[in-house]
Amino acid sequence: MQNPLHFDPQQAFNEVAAFQRKLAAGLQNLRGLGEQDYANTPREAVYSEDKLTVWHMKGSNKPTARVPILIVYALVNTVWMTDLQEDRSLVRNLLEQGEDVYLIDWGYPDGADRWLTLDDYLNGYLDRAVDAIRKRHALDAINLLGICQGGTFSLCYTAMHPEKVKNLVTMVTPVDFCTPDNMLSHWVQSMDVDLFVDTLGNVPAELMNWVYLMLKPLRLNQQKYVSMIEILDNPVELKNFLRMERWIFDSPDQAGEAFREFIKAFFQQNRLIKGDLQIGRQPVDLGMVTQPVLNIYATQDHLVPPDASRALQRHVGTTDYTEIAFKGGHIGIYVSGRAQREVAPSIHQWLRQRT
Amino acid sequence: MPDQATDFMKDYQAFAQQSWDAWMRYMQQQPGQANPLGFGLGYAAMPQDDLLTRSLANLKAYGNWLQQAAGAGLGQSSPWQQPAAMQAFLAAFNQPFPQAMAGLDSASAFGLEHQWQAWLQAMQRAGMAAGVPNSQVAAFGITREFQLDQQALQAAMQNYAQVNARYQGLLQQVNAQGIAKLQELLAQHAEPGKQVQSLKALYDLWVDAMEQAYAEMALSQEFREVFGALTNAQMQVRKLQQQQTEQMCRELGIPTRSEVNSLGERVQQLRRDLKAREQGQSASDTSLVDTLQSEIAALKRELAASKVAKVRSIERQASGENGKTPSQRTKATRSAAGKRK
Repeated sequence: MQNPLHFDPQQAFNEVAAFQRKLAAGLQNLRGLGEQDYANTPREAVYSEDKLTVWHMKGSNKPTARVPILIVYALVNTVWMTDLQEDRSLVRNLLEQGEDVYLIDWGYPDGADRWLTLDDYLNGYLDRAVDAIRKRHALDAINLLGICQGGTFSLCYTAMHPEKVKNLVTMVTPVDFCTPDNMLSHWVQSMDVDLFVDTLGNVPAELMNWVYLMLKPLRLNQQKYVSMIEILDNPVELKNFLRMERWIFDSPDQAGEAFREFIKAFFQQNRLIKGDLQIGRQPVDLGMVTQPVLNIYATQDHLVPPDASRALQRHVGTTDYTEIAFKGGHIGIYVSGRAQREVAPSIHQWLRQRT
Repeated sequence: MPDQATDFMKDYQAFAQQSWDAWMRYMQQQPGQANPLGFGLGYAAMPQDDLLTRSLANLKAYGNWLQQAAGAGLGQSSPWQQPAAMQAFLAAFNQPFPQAMAGLDSASAFGLEHQWQAWLQAMQRAGMAAGVPNSQVAAFGITREFQLDQQALQAAMQNYAQVNARYQGLLQQVNAQGIAKLQELLAQHAEPGKQVQSLKALYDLWVDAMEQAYAEMALSQEFREVFGALTNAQMQVRKLQQQQTEQMCRELGIPTRSEVNSLGERVQQLRRDLKAREQGQSASDTSLVDTLQSEIAALKRELAASKVAKVRSIERQASGENGKTPSQRTKATRSAAGKRK
């Protein structure tokens, strides 16, 4: 067997020198860059309550869709992943397709929100947000687009309030929380969630971020920044990188009670697919979801494994179920070039066939 | 004749040091601005130098490894099949996971050690740790409750230290398994044309290998138990610290977290009740309007029926007079009028 390491010593020295040169020169490019903006699609606040805001997103043309779509994001991180920058924006792409887009910004919970439950979030905030949009459009039902945990919320909401949802789109949404490859789920099984929430109250965003980085510690905490050195001399790429960094770490704390319920009922007990989930006083039966469902998952998702999403087909009540496998990861499904070309048109086509 | 490689390394080291120093100076000069290398988890309470050092630690580890690897003169004779030799070759990344996690270290994550050290020191300064009984000693006397609290905290800290040692042990195993994985991956690059020709490519391969080894460990039953135990142990320490802090606050007349929590819980319940009442009121208002509309409709029907009855009664009377109904009379009148035109 030949030696797989085939280095030219001079080339190795050159590589070292190039790294250090880029590192030194990169300082110049970082100067004055400051904080990178995101979420720059024009928008109007149409409903607010406590820290929640419902935004109506404005495209350059009038929407052609008769039924609006409400984007329901997760409580972890912020909804602005869907509108990161002009050329990486699910929201803009949907608007360009003619969709009428609303989104929920859950805000940043503080001590006053420590006792918010899933019932408060779903049968309270989300339900009132849906009602506000239904009223604006004089419609009985609107379309929902749930993302990640927001997809799980959208499923629960649709099961509890089926008359208010016309079509349901879920993206990278966990349904079966106990697939063998689900690292997050694996880690919380032996965790005493009551002790955790009773001690911490709201769960700090830094702790959530720490857990996410721990899923791939070397890749996310070292290799990524080593690769950043390569783009220090490219202002556009560098701004994109810093914008993403902002989104990753600009994350809200988690309301303690809702976190407790979510970890217990979903991650530890997997009750969504067992069929005995209850939110507030309402049972959540996925069999009640008889609306058309479009389920989009990412084939390389390290946070929500594909099997966790694909489980939806086995449990949902609808006969009109469509599944799309996106070649990419949990974040790439919003920001990659492929995502810009494929995701919004797929959603729009699917909706158009059903309205 | 001067050694060209040695000269290069000297120059490189000087250049590298200048570069790191420049980065540190750059970031220190702009305390008001967002850290352009905002990775790593920072805390306002941490000294700025500490934050920067943590943020740059992983990059520096890579820089050091590049320097070492280039200096090692890798070539055809590299003993890549010997784990010990590879371990030595990757020495700059020794303890890669603790190294990576050093950047993640924060008070809200698992960076508890320095936090509890500070706690113990504060307790000692307050004279509270003097004569702190260990958990084996029976507590008595006027300080009995305080002794029990201290014993519980001490036991919780010991438990955390033990569990953390198990956790670190698992990460050490990942390190060893990662080297074995790297050798497997390298074996796949042994054919001409597939060989690894740059240090960065080798680094990327090493990361792949380490992450594979880590993922296997992270999905194991043992890791699941230890991770859960570590979380629980840390929370137990924090909970006991909070209880002691609350005790001190109560003595000083300062509102405690429990009291704030209690208030928050009541406020949230009030918010729920208020919303339910508003919705109920709204539903009730709707229902009232519906009822009123029904009543009005019923009244209208009654009125209409009453009018009809009255009209019929008049008609009956009129019919008795000339044998024609009032409508017949009207038509007759109009007809007569038309004729008159």
